[in-house]
Amino acid sequence: MDFYYGMAQLIGVHTLLGLSAYVVLLTGQVSMAQAGFFAIGAYLAGMLTVLAGWHIVPAMLLAAVASALVATVVGFPALRVKGLMLVVATLAFGEAVRIFWFNFDYQIAKGNIQVGPLGGEGFKQIRYFPENGWSTADVAVFIWAWVIAAMIALWWMDRSRVGSVLRAVGEDELAAQSVGINLTAVKVSAMGIGGFIAGLGGAIYAHYTTHIEHLNFGVVLATFAIAYPILGGLSSVIGVLIAVIFIQGFLVEVLRFMGDWRNLLFGALIVLAMNVRPDGLFDARATRTLKRLFGRQDA
Amino acid sequence: MKRLLTIAAAVGVAMSVGTAADAADRTVKIAGFGAMSGVVRSFGINTDAVLRAAAKAINDAGGVKLADGSMAPIEVSFDDDRCNAEEGISVVRRIASSDAVVGVGPTCSNVAEPLFGILQAKAGDEGDSGLQFPIFTDTAIKGGLAKISEWAFRNVPNESQMYKSLFEWLATQHPDAKSVYGGVEEDFAHSRFTWYKVMKTRSADVGYEVKGESKWLLNDTNFTTQVREMKRAGADIIAISAHPFTTCGVLKEMARQRVKYKVLVGLTSSSSLETLNGCAKQAEGIIIPTSFAPVNPDAVAAADAAAALGGSADLHSAAAWEIMMILKDVIEAAGIQATADSVEADRRAIRDGLASLKTTKGLLGEIQRTDEGEAVKPYVYVHAADGSWAVLHDPNA
Amino acid sequence: MSDFWWQVIDSVQSVLDGMMFGSIYALIGIGFTLIFGVMHRINLAYAAASIGGAYASLAAFQLLSAPAIVVFLCAAAASGVIGYLVYICCFRFIPTEMPLATLMASVGMLILIDEVVVHATAGMPEPYPAMFDDVMIDLDPFWVRGDLLMIFALSVIAMLILLYVLYRTRLGIATRAVAQQPSAAQLCGIGQERTNAATFVITGALGGLAGAMVGASVGILSPLLALPLTVKGLIVTVIGGLGSIPGAIVAGILVGGFENVFQYFRGVTERDIYVMLLLFVFLTFRPQGLFGRISTRD
Repeated sequence: MDFYYGMAQLIGVHTLLGLSAYVVLLTGQVSMAQAGFFAIGAYLAGMLTVLAGWHIVPAMLLAAVASALVATVVGFPALRVKGLMLVVATLAFGEAVRIFWFNFDYQIAKGNIQVGPLGGEGFKQIRYFPENGWSTADVAVFIWAWVIAAMIALWWMDRSRVGSVLRAVGEDELAAQSVGINLTAVKVSAMGIGGFIAGLGGAIYAHYTTHIEHLNFGVVLATFAIAYPILGGLSSVIGVLIAVIFIQGFLVEVLRFMGDWRNLLFGALIVLAMNVRPDGLFDARATRTLKRLFGRQDA
Repeated sequence: MKRLLTIAAAVGVAMSVGTAADAADRTVKIAGFGAMSGVVRSFGINTDAVLRAAAKAINDAGGVKLADGSMAPIEVSFDDDRCNAEEGISVVRRIASSDAVVGVGPTCSNVAEPLFGILQAKAGDEGDSGLQFPIFTDTAIKGGLAKISEWAFRNVPNESQMYKSLFEWLATQHPDAKSVYGGVEEDFAHSRFTWYKVMKTRSADVGYEVKGESKWLLNDTNFTTQVREMKRAGADIIAISAHPFTTCGVLKEMARQRVKYKVLVGLTSSSSLETLNGCAKQAEGIIIPTSFAPVNPDAVAAADAAAALGGSADLHSAAAWEIMMILKDVIEAAGIQATADSVEADRRAIRDGLASLKTTKGLLGEIQRTDEGEAVKPYVYVHAADGSWAVLHDPNA
Repeated sequence: MSDFWWQVIDSVQSVLDGMMFGSIYALIGIGFTLIFGVMHRINLAYAAASIGGAYASLAAFQLLSAPAIVVFLCAAAASGVIGYLVYICCFRFIPTEMPLATLMASVGMLILIDEVVVHATAGMPEPYPAMFDDVMIDLDPFWVRGDLLMIFALSVIAMLILLYVLYRTRLGIATRAVAQQPSAAQLCGIGQERTNAATFVITGALGGLAGAMVGASVGILSPLLALPLTVKGLIVTVIGGLGSIPGAIVAGILVGGFENVFQYFRGVTERDIYVMLLLFVFLTFRPQGLFGRISTRD
C-alpha cells in the first residue's frame, strides 16, 4: 500500500507544479520560471523546518508567500515581452534562480552533522515527516488536502468573473484592454498566484525527497511544469491532474513492464498525444482561446 | 467524473505489485535498481548483468539456505530509476511493497541521498516513521552517505583512504613532484566532494603544495580558460575530479595546450570503459585508485560471468557481485524464512546481520565494515596503458 | 611579465576563444530563428536533432573511417533527415492555431531523440573526429586553436551558403515569401507545406553541421550536450532578434565571448548568471533584439 501512497504524494506535488503553470497559461503567458519558484519554496521551507525548527504548515505558507512575491516582481518586466521572448526570459530567470541556490551556502551544526544548503552538494536531511512519525498515508492525505484546496480555489476562480478576466486576457489582450481590463494587474496577479502555488509545491517536494540540490530544478522540471497544463488541456484544473497521472503514473510507472522500451515510449507518446489531441487530453475546447498568442509577436 | 474514475482504476490495476508468495516454492527476492536511461545508462546495464550473473552462480551452487534448512534460489529483478530522485523513491517504495527482502542500488548519489533520507534513521526507533527496508548500495559513491540511515549500507570504496595512500605512494615514486593542481566538475556533488574533501585535503596531508584548482560544469564543452589556468600553475601533479565526459574534454584540451605534468590522477569513477572509449590516447598514463581489477582468479571469474550476460565488471558493478555474495552469507547466518508473512522480519534480520558485520569477503581481498554502514575496501592503482586499464601497483601485495 | 599583463592577455585570449566557440551558438541560433521566421513556432527539438545527426555520422566515422570533412557532411545530411521527421511528427499534422501543442510535441521529440542516442550508445561518450586539432597558431602572446579556427571558418561558409540559398534561389524566395505573407504566398502558387518542410530540412542540415562542430571542438559527443545547446541557442535567438539571421550570427559570437569573459573574471559557477543578465538587459532595453523588427506579420 505504501507504494500507492507514495505515488499519491508524488502526483500531488507535481499537480501543484502543473497548477502553478496553468494559472499563468490562462493569461496566455508560457512561463518557464515555475521551476525557479518551486526551488525557492523548496529551499525556504526546508530551511525553516530543519534550521529554524518550524512546524511544516507555517513554513510552507511563508515559503509560498516568498515565492509569490518573487513571482510578482518577475511579472512586471515579463509584461514587456510575449511569445518566444517570454519563454526565453522566464527560462533565463528560472536558471538564474537555480544558479543562485548552486552558489548558496548556509549551514549550522545539528547533532553530529552539519545541516543546511551547501551549494553544489545540496541540502540534505529534510526529514520533518519521518522525524515526527507521519506515516506515508498521513503525508499523502496532508499533501492532497493542499492539492484539493488549490484545485477548488482555482476551479471556483475559473467559474467566477476573475476566471473570465484571465481568459479574456489570454484570448485577446487588445479586446480585454478595450473593455477596461487592467492588463498589468491581471498578468501580475496570475504570476503571483502561480508563484504561490509553485512555492507550496516546492515546499512539499523538499520534504518528500528529504534532499534537494540545484540540479533538481533545471530546465527539465520547468518543461514538465508547462507540459502538464498543455498536455491536459486548459479547459479546467482537471486537465492538469489528468496530465500528471498520464506522465508520472502511466508513462513512468505503468509502462515499467515494457522494460527498456519505456524510456523510448516516454517521448514518443508525448508526441503522439499532442498529434491526436492537440487541444489537450482532457476536454479540448478551451485551448482555442490561446490561438495566435504564441505564434505571433505583436507590437 | 466517471471516466476519470475508470482511468484511475485502470492505472491502479496496472501499477499493482505482486505480494503473494507461494509457500511451496520459496525464493529469496533481491531487487536491484539503478539508472537504465540517460548518460549513466551503462552503469545500470553493468549492475543488472552482474546481479543476474551472481544470482546464477549462487543458484547453480544450490541457492541459499533458509532458517528451516531448505535451500531456496535467489531471484533478482532490476528497475530503472532514471537517475532521478523522485523516481528512485517510487521504485524503492514499490520494491518495499513487494516481497523483496533487500534492495541493491542505486547508481547515482543524487538518488541515494534522498532515498536514504526516507528510510528510518535509527532502526527500531518507534518515533521515526521512515521506511524500514535494507538497501545495499553498489555504485553511488559520494562520501559519507550511509550514515543517514541505519537501514542503508554501502559497498563502495572509501575514496578518502584510497587517495591518501595513493598520494603517499606517489611521493615515494616521484620524489621530484612537489605540487598538486586540481580540476573539478563543480556542479556535480560527487566530483566536488572528492576534490575539496578528499584529493585536495589528502594531498596536502601528504605534504604536497596545492596550487589551486580549475572548475568547470558537468556539461561544459569549452575548457580553454580552465586549462590555461592549469598550465599557468605549472604543478607537478594534476588531479582531475570529473566524470568521463568532461575528463575527456579537459584531457583533449590539455593535449592541445601542451600542458606539462609529471603525474596525472583521475577520479575513481572514471576508471571505466567510458573514459577509454572517449579519449584513450589523451588518457594514456592517468593513474586512478580503484576497488576492482581482474587481478585474481575470483575477480576474473566474476568479470567473465558478467560479460557473458552483456555487462562489464568495473569498480562499480563488481561491488554488486560482492554484495550478492555478502547477502548470501548474511541471509544464511540470519536464518530467514522467505515466506509471505515473514517479509518484515526477514528484512530486519538482514539489516541486523549487515549491521553486525565487521569484515566481508571481497573480490580483491577482505573488506572492512564501519559502524556507519560503509566499507573500507582493498584497492589497487590502475593506469591507462595502450588503451586499456592495467594494474600499476597493488598496495596490499 | 607582471600579473596585470598576464590578466590582460588571458582575458583577451578568453574572449577570442569564446567568440570562436560562439559560432556554434550562432549556427543553432540561426536554426531557431529561421524556423521561427517561417512558421512562427519554436522547435525545441532542434538542438537535440543536431546532436542526433552528429551521432548518426559516427557510423561513417567508425564503420568506414571516413575523413573528418566527410563525417561532418554526413552529420549535416543525417540531421536534415531528422529535421524532416521532426516536421512530420510535430508540425505537419497539428493545426497551426495550436502553437502550444507543437511546442509540447517538439519537447517530446527532444526527449525521444536523446533517448534513442542513449540506447544506441549506452550513454557513453563517443570520440568525434576533428580537423587541425593538433595545430596551434602561435601569435605570441596569443595563440589560436587550429580546430576552432576551422570551425569558425566552416560556420561562416555555411552561413554564406544559407544566405545565398535564401536570397538567390527560388526556394529561398518561396521561404521568405511564406515567412512574410503566408496567405499571399499561397495565392502566388507557393506551396506552404513544401516550403515549411524544406525549411526544416535546411535548418536541420545546418544544425547537423553545428552538432558536428561541437563534437569536433570538444573531441567527444555526449547526449549531455543537447540541453545546454538548446538553452544557449534560444538566448542567442532572442538577443539577435527573432527571425533575423545576421542577428543570430552576431549574438552567437557575442554570447560566446561574453560567457568566457565572465568565466574568466567571476568563475564558472556564476558565469551563466551573467549570460542571463545580458539577456534581461536586451529584453528591457531592446526587446526586438539586435536586428529584429518590431512587428513582423499580419
